[in-house]
Amino acid sequence: MSIFGYLDAGSGSLLLQAILGGLAGIAVAFRAFKSRITGKKAVDEAIASTADEPEQVTEGS
Amino acid sequence: MVRPDPGSFRDPASHVVFHEGRVLRLFDERGLEAWRALSTAPFFSRETAAGRIIESTPVEDPTGTAAGAVEHPRLPLITYPYEWTFGMLKDAALLQLDLLEEALRDGFTIKDATPFNIQFRNGRPVFIDMGSFEPYRKGEPWIGYRQFTRQFLFPLLMHAWAGIPFQPWLRGDPEGPTAAQMRSILRGRKRLNTAALLHVRLQARMEDRLRGSAVRSELRTAGFNAELIIANVRRLRKLVASLAPHPSGAGWAGYQECAHVGRDRDTKSEFLEQILDGGHFTTVLDLGANDGHFSRIAARKGALAVAVDGDEAVLDRLHDSIAGQPIAVVLADLTNPSPSLGWRLAERPGLWERVDPDLVIAYGLIHHLIYTASIPPTSVLDWLREFDCPVALEFVTPDDEMVEVLTANKEEPELHPGRTEAEFRSLLDGRFKVESERPLGGGARILFHLIPA
Repeated sequence: MSIFGYLDAGSGSLLLQAILGGLAGIAVAFRAFKSRITGKKAVDEAIASTADEPEQVTEGS
Repeated sequence: MVRPDPGSFRDPASHVVFHEGRVLRLFDERGLEAWRALSTAPFFSRETAAGRIIESTPVEDPTGTAAGAVEHPRLPLITYPYEWTFGMLKDAALLQLDLLEEALRDGFTIKDATPFNIQFRNGRPVFIDMGSFEPYRKGEPWIGYRQFTRQFLFPLLMHAWAGIPFQPWLRGDPEGPTAAQMRSILRGRKRLNTAALLHVRLQARMEDRLRGSAVRSELRTAGFNAELIIANVRRLRKLVASLAPHPSGAGWAGYQECAHVGRDRDTKSEFLEQILDGGHFTTVLDLGANDGHFSRIAARKGALAVAVDGDEAVLDRLHDSIAGQPIAVVLADLTNPSPSLGWRLAERPGLWERVDPDLVIAYGLIHHLIYTASIPPTSVLDWLREFDCPVALEFVTPDDEMVEVLTANKEEPELHPGRTEAEFRSLLDGRFKVESERPLGGGARILFHLIPA
């Protein structure tokens, strides 16, 4: 059992933390994302849409 | 007899019980192991000595069921984030971030991030949940990040950037707004702020896309480390420290010193001091405390003053100026105070269940309840009687200029009986005995020292 098991940390929020850790974190995020087939696409899209064209991100997408 | 704290049950590793007036935290084997390690950590001793983490003393477990126990000092009043001002939630958020960074530097982490783990003691935030500290395991992300955003950051952002008070939201949903909900709340240029893009929009998007995925082992393998958490925590600290209440938020822009607030203040202070000097008072409940002038008098006389008011701007100023005095700030609408909330309606008791005063101050109050909120005078007195202690009360007759303002657009049939001096005195019969009284403003107002009959 996880020592943190009583709190739902949220998968997306956990992965986001690598990005929030700055440049070193983005490298970690990249390595973590590489091992995910679906996750890589999703997060790459999320990063790209937020960094480049924030106004294109539609509500509830 | 051992009574479990009905608000302490979520963490299997430790929970709080009350035993013969003492507050004890009981650990299971895993919790005890974490506590033993924690008690030797430099940051823990340092922050406990500074009063930013509550004191813990190892004691015998009176139940004989736990692996170990510590005793904490009893806090005279528990308040919840939906009763805090903007400045109080901000102070609590900064404490949470500071403690996390210090813990990480000593090889620990804080496994959750909720303002319910923080209380205010003499105006300063203190962390009360020892069970939240765990040894940091290499490669682990900050498990409490999402909770921090929902319960600290987003409430502060909705207040600061959108002018929406966070208290009604947290009272309705103590878990706080989700990133997706926050995305809908933020409008205009603030949506494109870097913090909004990362903590709100990107988090909402990633939560949506990655729901249910197991990512922790991947992060560990990819080289995630404590320095990345610290970098995030430092940025969050800078962001939180920069936040201020929105100027158009309710009560903030329009707040001005009202002339009537200071009227007869010296006489009212003297009357209160005489009452305070005539007995020993531990907890003085100041209803409609405004700028806390009378709470300060009670605090100077050695009591804990519980300053309750519905005006956030004025209470936030009071919070900023407490400076170690025994004053507890509580933001509450007296006509709609915090109810019991949470699991079995016992997790977060209602406001009046947590306050046990031995003196109530009701200065400049009851005419607002009677004329503005249309509460019948009989009900106001019944409510004050329920505190079962003396009351320093200011009664305002219909001849007072303030009442004329409050009733400018009301007609006689719209008002409850019991408003005249004669009627009010007859209502006191059977409820209170008048210990002393003093006329104010040529007799248009009267100060009463009331004792429960």
